Amino acid sequence: MIFLIEYDRNRGQIVTFEKFDDSEREKAEEFRLEMELNLNRLGIEREVVLLEAETEEALRRTHRRYFEDLTELVNAPS
Amino acid sequence: MAKEMSKTQIDRLGDRLRKGNISEDDLRLLDQYRRSFTEAYEFVVGAIRKELALEPTGRPAKSTTSISDKLRRESIRLTQIQDIAGCRLIVGDMAEQDSVVQSLKGLFEHTTVIDRRERPSHGYRAVHVVVTHLGKLIEIQVRTSLQHLWAELSEKYSDVVDPAIKYGGGSKDAQELLEKASKLVNSEESNERGLTEILILSSTKDNLSDDLKRQIEEVQGVQDSTRQATLNLLRKLIERV
Repeated sequence: MIFLIEYDRNRGQIVTFEKFDDSEREKAEEFRLEMELNLNRLGIEREVVLLEAETEEALRRTHRRYFEDLTELVNAPS
Repeated sequence: MAKEMSKTQIDRLGDRLRKGNISEDDLRLLDQYRRSFTEAYEFVVGAIRKELALEPTGRPAKSTTSISDKLRRESIRLTQIQDIAGCRLIVGDMAEQDSVVQSLKGLFEHTTVIDRRERPSHGYRAVHVVVTHLGKLIEIQVRTSLQHLWAELSEKYSDVVDPAIKYGGGSKDAQELLEKASKLVNSEESNERGLTEILILSSTKDNLSDDLKRQIEEVQGVQDSTRQATLNLLRKLIERV
């Protein structure tokens, strides 16, 4: 699966989270570009990233900083 | 198909990204540059999945924010950034990490291994294998679960407290905490590796006697407890911040 994440670094929180099938890579890339262009027009600084993983659970395991606040991260199982 | 960008064109784009105030044209150019890695990225991730039966999490393109930050932080050109596209593998321990790195070196023709375990980068420990395919660099991060937890904590601190923390700046207290946590992880993993090596050396000489097996199991039990205690101590230290 492909995941498009808009992340507010200062707040340490995800703003938007969208999923795409593996066959929709082109569409996901277009969405990412459109999102970046819109944020740029509005003067908002956000991290916009595309990630690919077998499942959302796998994504949360390898990129948990996007999903958990610091307390959750500290208490998460290794 | 979009026209191939020249190296000069890419590096000039990098100069503008470094300065900030990015235009729409620049965002589109950067998008074009990142997409030029797609074929190499798909080849590398596909081979890892198919040939090694591993499940990496892929990042087909580094975010604009991360690219701009890197250009400002380091005296580097955009064409020199080697992690525009890549993926991440999380493994159990250092023995498995070594084995996966060897497999990656065997799988791809052109690789460079960057081992940050003995000489960490601001506490960050991991092994990165950079594959060159079709003239593009694709970075594979191989981390143990302990190294990964430390890296995720460091990144989260950088996100919500101070971006400089990840690169050795910012709050002195946070720096000290992360440094000590990194040393704890290193100590734990070094001990585990030591026992694995003893086990291998003993096994090659003769069949392990029951007495030796018992001793090794005893040390393994102590190490498992220490590993858990290290994790707990790490969590407590962080809660205090």
